[in-house]
Formats: sequence, C-alpha cells, structure tokens
Amino acid sequence: MFDFRSVWDVVLLVGLVVAIAPWFGAYLGRVYMNRPAFGDAILAPIESALYRLLGTSPRSAMRSSEYMLAVLFVNGGVFVFLFVFLALQHALPLDATGAPNMHWTLAFHSAASFTTNTDFTHFTNESQLSLGALMVAWPLALFLSAATGLSVAAAMVRGFVRKDGTLGNFYVDLVRTMTRVLMPLAFLLALALVLLGVPETLTNYAIAHPLTGGTQTIYLGPVASFQAISFLGTNGGGFYSTNAASPLANPSAVSDLLGTFAMMLIPFSTPFAFGQIVRRKGEAWPFMGTILIVFAIALGLFVAYQAAVNPALAGLSGLGPQTAGYPVGQETRFGLTDGSLFQVVSVYTNTGANNMQIGALAPVAQLVLLFGMFTQSTPGGDGTGFGMLLLFAILGIFVGGLMVGRSPEYLGKKVGTGHVKWAALALLTHPALILVPFVLAVAGGFVTVASGSLPASAHTFTAVLYEFTSEAANNGSALGASSFNDTTWFFNIAGGLVMLLGRFVPIFAMLKVGGMFSEESVLPPGPGTLRTASATFTVYITLFLIIVSVLLFLPVIALGPLAQIVGGP
Amino acid sequence: MSAPAAPPAPRPPARVHSAAGHLRATAVVLVLVVLGAGVAYPLVVTGIAELIAPGTANGSLLHGPNGTVVGSSLIAQNLSAPYLFWARPSLTDYNMTLGAGSVPGPSDPALRSLLNETLSYMRLYGNLSVNATVPFDWAAPSASSLDPDLVPEAVLVQVPRVAAATNLSIAFLQGFVNAHIVNPLIPYLGVPFVNVLSLDLALLPLIGKA
Repeated sequence: MFDFRSVWDVVLLVGLVVAIAPWFGAYLGRVYMNRPAFGDAILAPIESALYRLLGTSPRSAMRSSEYMLAVLFVNGGVFVFLFVFLALQHALPLDATGAPNMHWTLAFHSAASFTTNTDFTHFTNESQLSLGALMVAWPLALFLSAATGLSVAAAMVRGFVRKDGTLGNFYVDLVRTMTRVLMPLAFLLALALVLLGVPETLTNYAIAHPLTGGTQTIYLGPVASFQAISFLGTNGGGFYSTNAASPLANPSAVSDLLGTFAMMLIPFSTPFAFGQIVRRKGEAWPFMGTILIVFAIALGLFVAYQAAVNPALAGLSGLGPQTAGYPVGQETRFGLTDGSLFQVVSVYTNTGANNMQIGALAPVAQLVLLFGMFTQSTPGGDGTGFGMLLLFAILGIFVGGLMVGRSPEYLGKKVGTGHVKWAALALLTHPALILVPFVLAVAGGFVTVASGSLPASAHTFTAVLYEFTSEAANNGSALGASSFNDTTWFFNIAGGLVMLLGRFVPIFAMLKVGGMFSEESVLPPGPGTLRTASATFTVYITLFLIIVSVLLFLPVIALGPLAQIVGGP
Repeated sequence: MSAPAAPPAPRPPARVHSAAGHLRATAVVLVLVVLGAGVAYPLVVTGIAELIAPGTANGSLLHGPNGTVVGSSLIAQNLSAPYLFWARPSLTDYNMTLGAGSVPGPSDPALRSLLNETLSYMRLYGNLSVNATVPFDWAAPSASSLDPDLVPEAVLVQVPRVAAATNLSIAFLQGFVNAHIVNPLIPYLGVPFVNVLSLDLALLPLIGKA
C-alpha cells in the first residue's frame, strides 16, 4: 500500500525550490546583465583581470554568428582536449589503476558526450578511466558545458532588450558563470556532500579483506567534488559507473535529496532570470507554470506505477510482498518517493544521473522518462532547456497569432517567419536525430543483444530508442546494458554525432533567434497585443508543448514503450 | 513641432575579435579551467574534507577485530556464511570493477528465472522455515549491485538461520537486529534499514569469531 505520509519531504523540497527560484533567478539575471550583484566587491576586480588575460572586454559585444563562433571555439577546444586525453590516458599521469588508452571511436563518443553536457558513457569508469581523467579532464567539461548552456540562454534572452543586433560577449558570460555561479555553488555543495558521507580523497582505491575471505577493491577519489558539479551543471556523469545509485556517491536519502535540489536549482530559476533580464517579472510565471504542470504529472505517474506490483512476476513461489515500491533495480536506502523524485528530476532536467536501473522500471515509468527527453525543456538542462522552452513559446505565439489573425509579437518584438524557421529547425532536429539513427541501427542490423535475453523484443526496441533519445537530448541516462550491446563502433560514432548535432544545432538556432530580436526596435503594446503574463497563455503553451511533442514521437513510442505497456515482452 | 531626431548611434562592428583573438581566448579559458576546476577545486575540497570528515572522506572503511580493513560500510560484500546476516544479491559478485551489472526489464523472462535462482539459493542455504517467504526487497537485485542495506524484515527473516549456526537465541538476535536499525532523522525522510556489514561486524565478538 502506498503511504501518503512519505511524500512530505518531496512536497517540501519542490516547494523550497519554487520559493527560492524567483530570488535566485533574479540573481542570475543580474549576473548576465552586469547589473550590481552580491559579491561585486571581491569578484569584479578578479573578473577584470581575467578579461585582460583573455584579451576581451564586456564592451565588446558579439553578434549571433560571432557568439556561435566563440561557442564553437571553446567547446571545440574542450572536445579536442578530452579526445586526446582519453585516447592517451594510460601514458598520462594519475593512472594507478592501469586504465588502458581508449580506442579512438570510444574516445570520440566520450569526448562528444562530456563536451555536450550529455555524459552518456559506453565504458565502465572503474576499469576504463584513469584518476586523471576523472579528476582533471572530465570536470573541465562538467564546468564548461554547463557554463556554455547558461551563457547561450542569457545571450538569446538579451536579444529582447537590445536593439543593435548584438547579444553580448561569450567569454565574459563564461567567466561570470564560473566565478558567480558554478565555482562557489559547486564548492559549497561538495563540502555538504562530504559531510553526508561521500568520499573525497586523492587515494585511488583501498583493498579490503571481506569477512568470508578474498579481497575487494574499493575505488575512491575526489568523488564529492565531481558529483557536486555533475548535479549543479545538469551533466549527470557519475564518478562511479553505477552513478548516483552507488552507495559511495549517494550514501543516504538526505544526500539523494540534496543532489535533487542541486539539479533543480538552476533550471527552475532560469525563467526568473529571464524575467529579470527583460525587466518584466510576471513573464517568468507562464514558463514556470508549464514546467511545474508537466513535471507534476510526470512525477505522479512515475511514483504510481513504481508503487504497483509487477504482473509478470505473479505466482512466483516463495516470493514475499514488496514493502513499499517495486524493489528490482532499486536501492534500499532512498525509499520509493525520494528515490523516484531524484530520478524524475534527473531526467527532466536533462541531468541523466541514475539512482536506479531504468531498464528495470515499469514500462509506464520508462515512458514518463522518455517524454521528459522528448520535450527537453520542462525544465531541461542548464540554460539550453529554457532556450528550447522559449523556442516552443515563439512557435506557439506565431501559430496562435495566425489563428486569431493578428501579427504575432512577444515582449514588444515582432515574431516573423525568420524566427519561426529557426525555432522549427531546432525542434525538428530533435526527432530527426533520434529517428534516423534509430532506423539505421535497427534496419542495418547493428543491434546485438546479450545472450540469455530475448532476441528482438519491444524492450530492446525501447532500449535503442532510449539510447538515441538520451543522446539527442544531451541527457545521458541509459536503459541498461542488458538490453543490447552499445559499445560497438556504430553506436560510438552514431551516438557521438547525434550528441554533437543535438547540442550545437539548437544552440545555433537559439542564438540566431536572439540575434533577430536584437535587430528589432520595441513596439509599444496595443489593444491587440497578446497578454503573455497570464494563466491563459500558460495553459496554451503547456498544451502546445505536450501536443507537439506527442505528435512528433507517437509512431516510435507505439513500437517500443506502448507495446510493452499493453503486454509485449 | 517635434524635437530634432538624435543622431543614430554608431552601429556596433560586425566582428569584435579576429580568429587569432578567439584562439587566444579559448586557450586561456582551457588553461584556467583545467587549473581552477581540475586541480585547485578538488585539491581544496580534499584538504578541507580530510580535516572535517576524515573517516567518510576516505571511504567509510570498517576495520575488523585485528585492525585490517574488512570493507566499507557503504559497499556490500559477500556475507553468505551460515553464521552471518546476508546482504542483497549482487549481479557482479560485489566486484566494483565490473560496474553496475544489468537488471532485466520487468517483462523479460530473464527476470523471473533470475529471481527463481535467488529464491532457491536463499531457501536451500538460508535455512528458512518451511512457510516463510523471502521478502521481495531482499531477493531483488539492487541498482548498484553494491547495496549495503536491507529492510528490517529481510534481516529478521534470517534470524532463525543465524541462531541455528551460533549459540545465540532467537529472542536475543531479534533484539540485536532491532538495535541496529537505522531510522530516518525525521520520519519518512528515507526509510528504516539495517547496514548488514556493520551488523555482522558487531556480531563477530558475540560468536567468538573476533
């Protein structure tokens, strides 16, 4: 029986996030508008010195194409650094466990995965990553991919308040994201995780002598500092291959909830940063409303189906009842509600850190997670999630304007076919990047299943769909290795390309749309102006987002998850 | 009469940095972030962690009666001796090197056979009473295959076996287990559980294995 008393901490945590999001979002808005903010006295001189070192200045404002060029320069640098590091990790320092050099296809997939904020892994950390890769190389991407997402969203939104065609300076945005947001928060979070029992040491491993004989290698390292930025940056990579299910990385229900809070903080605050930047605080609520409605439905469905018993196990002799939720692929210490909250938040913020085995979940729960990656904007990852939501809204405003016969505008800026073309490109890239490689993989015979499993079941189908969806959405969660073997050259190359395109095509579209708004002057509101800070607009955008997402993906959902729900294997 | 229009603001330049300028900025960003986030950040956090929480910062290692490291309280190990309480089963034989292991999907026939295998093993070697069922939360594979904890029901069901293998009474062992239940700080902030390795380490001196 589901115990409703176990939801109090879930309600409290979500309530806490919603309560501080307006305040923290306003702070973020100040950071990206160079408005006076907490910490100026100490940080402003440091930042000035950094700008000089970089050879740039806040006064040098870039147009959208140059901003994109700067994004590609920095992220290209991260990609090349990671590729070289991983391909040569055995020859580099800090490889006490003897992790071998990565094959170039695996290094390609991993470098693309870390650079794009995806952190989808085709390897086992403990045996295939050196301490240097875990401590130095990967965290470089954990920080810079999150900073890139936030900077791009800020640049796009600044298009609404500028009239000269510029969006700001990417390097200045990067510096301020690091000094004002990611570094201080990651530092505090890492210390809190240490106090909750997460290891933080430079020792690579300890050898234990278990009570029944033999030896057990216990892998250690700077786990807390890694997990902190992984959660905050909505990256989702885990220090351990078992990610947030590992008892060392996530030792208790309290650490689980703290990680949940860290994943929610920035994505749930970004609508309010938008409100601060455009100086109309009420405009944040339609987006917050959309996010909360979709998120609440998802969490409710997820918990309800995980509380149920698995009909496929009926009549198994000697098996006792489950105490709360379905325990297969779950850790004991989190419990049903706290564990589920983490998992739904993780996928819906496009973090992708699993604290359970997704492949073991009830089919409806798997579909709930897939849907979060289809929208990738409720709330989505740091920055880019809100950028996608804004593109959905712009498309919705255009369609709505056509329906009532008024020329569509948003925040005093005209929405024309140019904006809509780029928004549609970003939204259509997503299904294309999932369906094309999906068909190639299935029809090309690249899907090989592990022995002992069914050859080609609806579950395998769901697993391949989940893999490409997770990569296209830059999510990083995986359905599990039992379903099929994804460590082949095909899935390395295809997956790497899907992640890169799934990241940088929408980013380009966001910057283009922002750049077009920045070219326009502001129109005064008239009688025909759509009131966007309203409940009507909130409901409209929510339904628009749900319907578009369902229509785009319905056929492929029917083949995998729906077939499982109606009883296929 | 309208005021004369202000002269138009000068258009910002099409480009503010040359390719060389971008290259320089990128190189400086990479060097700074590698040094700041990849070196200074973990070193500073480690330094503070070793001061404020040296035990957990080094992996919550547990020492046996003679001082050797027997394991981590956060990592399950093979405890299937008749006189010990057992942890949840592991698909990787409690070997961290093998990663997560892979739990079969809900409708996969492999799940049924895996559970059947576990149940037979637990009934054969677990010395359960004839009518006792195995708590699902004990038999089910965990997410990490390293789950060190068990729900109290799953520990209590093992008491008859431990009692038979040791000279301790069932009533004493039930009290012993109940004393080792970790309750949430505030009710429902997580669930009550027993850390099995800690329990077994506390049991060793009582059965003369110390």
